[in-house]
This record gives sequence, C-alpha cells and structure tokens, in this order.
Amino acid sequence: MKICLLSYRGNPYCGGQGIYITYLAKELVKQGHEVHVIAGPPYPEKIDGVIMHKIDNRNYFNNKNNFIDRDNPFASLRIPDIYEFIAAKIGIFPEMETFSIRAFLKIRELLRKFSFDIIHDNQCLGYGFLLLKNLGIPIISTIHHPLTIDRSTWFEFPSSFMIKMKRILYYPLIMHKYMANKMEKIITVSYDSAQQINKDFNVPMEKIRVIYNGMDSDIFYPLKNIKKKKNSIIFVGNVEDRKKGIIYLLKAISKTKNRVNLTIVDGGAPNRSFVPKWIDKFGINDRVHFTGKIPLERLIKLYSETEIAVTPSLYEGFGFPAAEAMACEVPVIAAEGGALPEVVGDHMKTGYLVPLRDSAALAEAIDFLLDNPKMRKDIGKAARRRILTIFTWEKASKEMVEVYRNVINAYSRF
Amino acid sequence: MPRARSWGFIAVLFSLILGSIFVHSVFITDTGINNFNSSDLSSINNYTYYAVAIPLGIISLFLTGTGFWIGYTILTIKVVPPMPEIADKKDNSKIKAFILCIAALVLGILFLYGICIKNFWALAIPAAFITLVILGSIFWIGIAIITTRSTLNGKNAGKQS
Repeated sequence: MKICLLSYRGNPYCGGQGIYITYLAKELVKQGHEVHVIAGPPYPEKIDGVIMHKIDNRNYFNNKNNFIDRDNPFASLRIPDIYEFIAAKIGIFPEMETFSIRAFLKIRELLRKFSFDIIHDNQCLGYGFLLLKNLGIPIISTIHHPLTIDRSTWFEFPSSFMIKMKRILYYPLIMHKYMANKMEKIITVSYDSAQQINKDFNVPMEKIRVIYNGMDSDIFYPLKNIKKKKNSIIFVGNVEDRKKGIIYLLKAISKTKNRVNLTIVDGGAPNRSFVPKWIDKFGINDRVHFTGKIPLERLIKLYSETEIAVTPSLYEGFGFPAAEAMACEVPVIAAEGGALPEVVGDHMKTGYLVPLRDSAALAEAIDFLLDNPKMRKDIGKAARRRILTIFTWEKASKEMVEVYRNVINAYSRF
Repeated sequence: MPRARSWGFIAVLFSLILGSIFVHSVFITDTGINNFNSSDLSSINNYTYYAVAIPLGIISLFLTGTGFWIGYTILTIKVVPPMPEIADKKDNSKIKAFILCIAALVLGILFLYGICIKNFWALAIPAAFITLVILGSIFWIGIAIITTRSTLNGKNAGKQS
C-alpha cells in the first residue's frame, strides 16, 4: 500500500503528534508499505525506509521578532506567508491552515512522480484538505483529542479579558469541526476521546475508529541497579498547558504528610509564567525542581530513580507520560481525566486513580504509595505488563492498515 | 542582505506613502461626501454600487460577527470555577463580553443600514480596515527586513578570519 502521512509538526520531541507519526511510519514500513511523510517544522528525524518531504513555515506565531528568513527575506510577502503573518499578528493560530494548503501543493507536485492509495492526516484538519479531496485519494485524519478541551480547560484559570479573547481566536475549532466531518474516517486514540469528538464536533460514532497509541517498551524500560530516591515523585509535561492540571499536584504536595520532592520535566524556563507563582503561593519552593528539556536517556534514568509518577491531568486524549512511566515500572497516580483511566487501567492494580481536580485525594494517594513500597513495586510491574500487552505500535499499525483497506475499498465503490 | 535591506526600505516607504494617500483621500480631503454627515452615493449606478458594497459588507459582517462570537463565547462558556487560591475576585470578563456583544451587534446593524442607504462610511471604514491592515503588514515586514542583522556567509567569514 502507498501511504502518505501528513503532520504539521513532525518532531517526536515536540509532543504526542511527533511521536505518533514517527512510530506509525516506522511500523508501516516494517509491514512492507511504501510510506511518505510530509511534515512541517520541527521536522522528524530520518526514519529508515520512509520517504520524507519537508514543508516550510515561518512560524510567525512564535517568532515575534526574528521572523525574516535571511536567505529569502521576501518570502514573508508571498501569498500563504502574508496570510500567516497577518493571522498570527491578529492572534489566530494559522499553522494548521497554511500547512494544509502547502501540503496540497506538495502532494500535487509529488503525484507527478508517486501515487498514493490513502492520505492520513495527523490532527491538522485545515481547509486546504478540501482541495486535496479533489485529487481522488481518500483522506482520513487522526484527532488525538478535540481542541475544545484545551479551550475549556484554559478558561478554568483566571485570565484577563484580552487573554480570553486571544484564546478564543487561537483555537481553530470551527475549521476542525467542519473538516472532521469531511474526512472519510476519523481515527482517535481512546474511547473517551471518541465520545468527546462525537459530542463536540458532531462526528457520527460509526465514522470514528479507536486505535490506541503504542509505547516503545524497548526505549522505556526499568533500568537495573539504579537506586530510587526517597520520597521522589515526577511530573512530565508542559506546565503551562492548563489541562495538565499541575496546580492540583502543587497544592497536593503542600498537603502530604511525607516531605516529597517533585521533579518537573518540562519544556524549559521560557515556557513558565504561572507555575513559579503558584509554587511560591503554596510555599514549596524547596521541594520542586525543574529539569527543563532533557535527552531521552536522562528521562528514562529519572523514571528509574523516582518512586512515583503523577499525571494530574484534567484531560488527556491518551496520556503518553503516564504510559512512559508505566513502561518503566514506575507506579502512576493519575486523575480520571479523559483517557487516563483507559491507559492506567485498574485502580490499585496497574495504577492509582484519583478524582479530577482533587488535590486532597492526590496528597492521600502520594502518602499511601510512599508508605507502601510493596504496593509500589507490584503496581509498577503490573503496569509494565499492561503496556506490553495492550499498547504496542505493532498492534496499532496493524489496526491502522485494516482501517486503510476498509476506507480505500469503500472509496473505490463510489 | 544589503540588497534585501534596501528592499526593506522600499517596502516601508511604499506602505507609508500609500497609507498616507489613502488616509488623506478618505478621511481628510474635503470632497463633500466625507464630512461625517450621512452623505449618500445615490448618483452611482446600483450595479456598480453593490459590486463594491456587497464584498465590503461581507467583510464588515465577518468582522463584527467575529466580535460578537468572541463575546458570546466568553459569556456562555461553561467551565469549572478555579480553585479559591488562584481565583481572581475582580474578574469582570463577562461584563466586558456582554458589552462586546452589544457593540458588535450595533456596529453590524449600522454597517448594513449604511450600505442600504448608500452611506459613504459604510464602505470607507471596511475599505480602510483592509487597506491599512495589508499596508501595515508590509510596513512591519519592511521594518523587520531592515532591522534583521545580516550574517556573513561561510566564504566571506573565511576571508575575514
């Protein structure tokens, strides 16, 4: 099968989307398919056997000052670029829309040389895909979770009227809702996310297929001969992403009986604005340590050194950090947000589940697991077994190929 | 980069001159119809008038509609209240959102009414918005080209060292 994967951000270290595209492409190649990846920056690393096509963007939304390309200073005045520039300055996040237009142009160019049986988009859902539909190739999309969640969790936190206005403009919800209904099939990564897509985007359930993400248990595994640091807990994720629920964890730390030390693995200092204030407010400055961006090897070592991982998210479409910790045999305390109960599994067997937004329950769970080393060990081992059984990329890609075949067959009938 | 820089200056000058001509012609020059009175364009043929008025009207409605939609969303979004430790007691977003909704609604109706009675300002204001946004962007990009530091390429760097 000739498969074209699209991802407006392709790097595996920029979030779940990059991980998804990298592993899916690898597994599809292993199965003998011809795989093309069309990706925007940050670009994915080279994947053996995958034909990579890079699409440019100026990233005007994030590059406030140095946005001029020195090699091509007038690029900013070209049609998609000037739109991207104006939209970004107004506060709209144009990356998805412009990627979809550029992807259409790229695919049209590639069709002179290659042919594709199916196009699989990775949560871009830009209007440009309406043009793609005219090429006579079925197009499906993966929605990890609807962005309606991001917007509503943002509004849970106090912010000024201007910021609220910007947040409403920022999320391309109208485009996503419209485009999700135009796709031949929607793939999502959990049953909870499927229900949310159905509710928020009105996509019929029969059009949605759940395929769980995988976890690379050859990379994420418990390191031997590493001593656990006493009363250590770890949080992995973007602290400024409101749906990650870090504030509930910080409050819980101020309430635990045991004096715990929290390590936060996040994107680095420039991405922190609210969290340091909250740490001050809860008086836990001496117990919270930020690592910033770290290499994968160090993250795995950190998991092995840590007694408990906490995922207090208000919502997760899947929850890679929880799955990573589980693969490393670290017991996970997770809030019942979105797909986390699906990933973490049985309470007190493969993980520890607490109600949403409940810092007292989080504090109680932390104390309970810190006081019960045997329970921690048992949960950690059962967690890894769960990951090895249910969440593998091989399984995910086989299910994906089955979806591709069904979509192609249904499409060719018309 | 020096050549690019000179083009940056040209972009800045081009946008400034065109912007000034536009503002002067529309808002300052006394042509008898732009004196903020309810001046009409009734002498223009209907087809000609609506060929211009309809696209500008759509843009006006799109902009005021976006304003209304933003206000309405802030007003009606249902979320869990923030925890007391971080709650902002002076949050008056809902009041501001309500004002935004009303203002957008009134403006939208005024634009439509203005187009129906062939009022000059119902066309001039959206036209000014589009023109100034585009020229403003060209100006901004021009400034960025001028102020972006040039780097020596590898060949020149070798000569320098």
